[in-house]
Amino acid sequence: MSKYIIRRLVQIIPTMLGVFTVLFILAYLMPGDPVRSVLGEEYKRMKPEVVEGVRDQLGLNDPFIVRYAKFLGRMVRLDLGESFILKQSVWDIIGYRLPRTIQLMAGGMFVALLIGLPAGILAAEKQYSWVDHGLMLLSLVGVSMPVFWLGLLAQLLLTQEKYGIALFPVAGYEEGSVIHMILPSLVLGTALSAEIARVTRSSMLEVNSKDYITTARSKGLPYRVVLLRHQLRNALIPIITIVALDIGYLLGGSLVTETIFNWPGLGRAIVPAIQRQDTPVILGILIFGAFMFVIINLLTDLIYALVNPRIRFA
Amino acid sequence: MTRRLSFVLMVSLIAILLVPFGVQAQSDANVLRIPISPDPEHLNPFTGTTIAISNILNNVYEGFFKLNQETGQPEPALAESFDVSDDRLTYTFHLRKGILFHEIPGVTYENGDREFKADDWIWAANLSASGDEKISSHPEWTESIVGAADVKDGKATEISGIKKIDDYTIEVTLASPNRLFLVNLGVPAISKQAYDQLGDKFGETPVGTGPFRFVEWMRDDHITLEANPDYWVEGEPKVAGVRFINAPDSNTALLQYRQGELDFLFGFPTGQRAATVAEFQSEYHELPGLNVRYFGFKMDQGFFAENPKVRQAFAYAFNRDLVWNELMEGARFPADLGYLPPSMPAATPANIYAYDPDKAAQLLTDAGFPNGEGIPPIDLYVFSSAADELSLPVLQEDLRKLGVTLNIQVEDASTYWDHIGEDDVIMFLSGWSAGVVDPSDVFNFLFYKGRDDTKYDNKDVNDILDQALIETDPAKLEVLYQKAHDLITADSPWIVSAYSKVAWLQKPNIEDFNPGGGGAHTARLAEVSIKAA
Repeated sequence: MSKYIIRRLVQIIPTMLGVFTVLFILAYLMPGDPVRSVLGEEYKRMKPEVVEGVRDQLGLNDPFIVRYAKFLGRMVRLDLGESFILKQSVWDIIGYRLPRTIQLMAGGMFVALLIGLPAGILAAEKQYSWVDHGLMLLSLVGVSMPVFWLGLLAQLLLTQEKYGIALFPVAGYEEGSVIHMILPSLVLGTALSAEIARVTRSSMLEVNSKDYITTARSKGLPYRVVLLRHQLRNALIPIITIVALDIGYLLGGSLVTETIFNWPGLGRAIVPAIQRQDTPVILGILIFGAFMFVIINLLTDLIYALVNPRIRFA
Repeated sequence: MTRRLSFVLMVSLIAILLVPFGVQAQSDANVLRIPISPDPEHLNPFTGTTIAISNILNNVYEGFFKLNQETGQPEPALAESFDVSDDRLTYTFHLRKGILFHEIPGVTYENGDREFKADDWIWAANLSASGDEKISSHPEWTESIVGAADVKDGKATEISGIKKIDDYTIEVTLASPNRLFLVNLGVPAISKQAYDQLGDKFGETPVGTGPFRFVEWMRDDHITLEANPDYWVEGEPKVAGVRFINAPDSNTALLQYRQGELDFLFGFPTGQRAATVAEFQSEYHELPGLNVRYFGFKMDQGFFAENPKVRQAFAYAFNRDLVWNELMEGARFPADLGYLPPSMPAATPANIYAYDPDKAAQLLTDAGFPNGEGIPPIDLYVFSSAADELSLPVLQEDLRKLGVTLNIQVEDASTYWDHIGEDDVIMFLSGWSAGVVDPSDVFNFLFYKGRDDTKYDNKDVNDILDQALIETDPAKLEVLYQKAHDLITADSPWIVSAYSKVAWLQKPNIEDFNPGGGGAHTARLAEVSIKAA
């Protein structure tokens, strides 16, 4: 096991090197000029030599190879650099926003599991009944709704006295406030819950026809024990896979959700960074995201072994 | 058993959909809640150049003067008064006594003395003149003072034209008379001790003498200021504090405003402007702004440089009223007056290009292009912006009626601003925001010695603008600018499209919120009060 983990960790190095190179080239090829894009029409107020000075300071006048070498050097030292615009180090930008994004993602995942698992189990147990059809139809609707639309709808109906009931604040983040988390989590989690419900249903049904379930039932084990300990546990592997994959989706969805709900997370840093060509921030966040993804994949593989001891790593 | 479990699952499903929470909009009764977006890049007054930054710092820092919103003229603030020599070269400033710097955690004043004195200002002026962009982006604050250029070039560390007479008196000598000297003199009162002690944190911890002092900045979330208890103006600020709330989505901001989570709304969601204004009719306010949007022609080479009558024809052909009053629901004023924002002196030139398609067709015939025959297809370069989007098809259609083909080339903003200066672009969309109510703030940047992307360079105009910079008699000044405006209008280097509108909603209990044409961020929040409900 530990050998396996070490091997997987070593594999991260070439993967990340590939990520660095591809992202750097993409950023380098982006047309335009960050200095001009920041100043917009105001650049006319700046003297040309001032603009040139800023470009020099940012290293934008260096040739490709020099910039790439400098960039790789920084990456090796785990230095993500400093924002062109915010006068903050990229680590500070990520460090401040990441906990909030994770909080939102966790909220979304919680909602997704809270709705998706029971709905999936219920649909499987009541296969081909009106409950099953109703839930699967709902989940189809859920999968089809874009996050921004759902967010807007939720805001209109649940925060506006004019259109619905004002149960929740419209937007905003408060340290430790649960009420501010509910709507964004609900919006982020709903689409996901639909997917989890569908996977849970089909996985549960597949296990349901297995001999060991029949055996367990005929042994006279209580219904709940069969359902939760025998059926659900064996149905978990596909569910875990989809949950792990969906973390990427959650990160993407949280970018939109953060904007609609004034949530100060990573998405709120990367969107303006792209608009203003703040390359260090774009690269830093993307590289960090790629790294997280690699780690999550590793963890997922390890969890498989925990859930199903028959899976062994060599 | 089966039934019980199904029941439990059902209930858990329903429960999370009906969480019984009640919400009250959290509010401290006497705190202004103002939406902002984007977040300020930083809060360092020496290097701050964006509206997002000055929006906050205007309330924390102040300088010798504050500008009158309507006239653009400086009025005394930290300088109680000043004398000018007869040759208009030497200014003596008398500082107000007893002005105190903010008390802020992380800053300890020597002997507990927080008073603002001449040394503080002179230090800040010297620093602001630095040519190192990491230190200052505002050499223009001091550039007309003798010796400022040496500091900028690194030949000196102190501006030789600034002399301390005593703790409350400073003498400044200019290189040549400059009527805009006081307007440009933006050096704020900054404590050197705070600057040194805060180090890297200075850029996120503003410490000034203004009506509000800094409390907290949660990036992309909110910035909190509280009333400065030592503020020198009796009775100001009238509120206990200000909370700037970052609201990046204008639709969300509208929902927050409607629910009372915000006291103001500055941006209207696209396509919902008229509906929003109708819903909040008594809370809606507007005034003419200082931004001009235009389509520029390249004036030094290419098709338009050679065909002045075609430029004039295009200016007559554009139906601005349709764009701005109808399609854009009144988002801006149609620009049928001239090249200056309408609130400026000399804003109406002798000839104006009011919408007149017949005259446009006639001019094309006069120019030798009857029915547009012989005019090559023209590429209009634009950046993607929802604000200008609808003006493009209208212009395209108006020109098509003249027999002219207009191709619209949309570019990403970062590419676009770099590209329009190049020779291959002969027509482009652009805009300009004047900072003060003075024609020089438009003319000297856009029609002076080829400085703008149109490369407009008319010797007569250049001469007039040079003269105007030293003219101090307002009546003569207006005559000069009128002359310049007439000359520029005759050349027709632009199709002027629109003048901006400063428009906003404010809750009925908010009083004395008075922004200038520069935008909502220019309002003095110290004067604003919240009437008890």
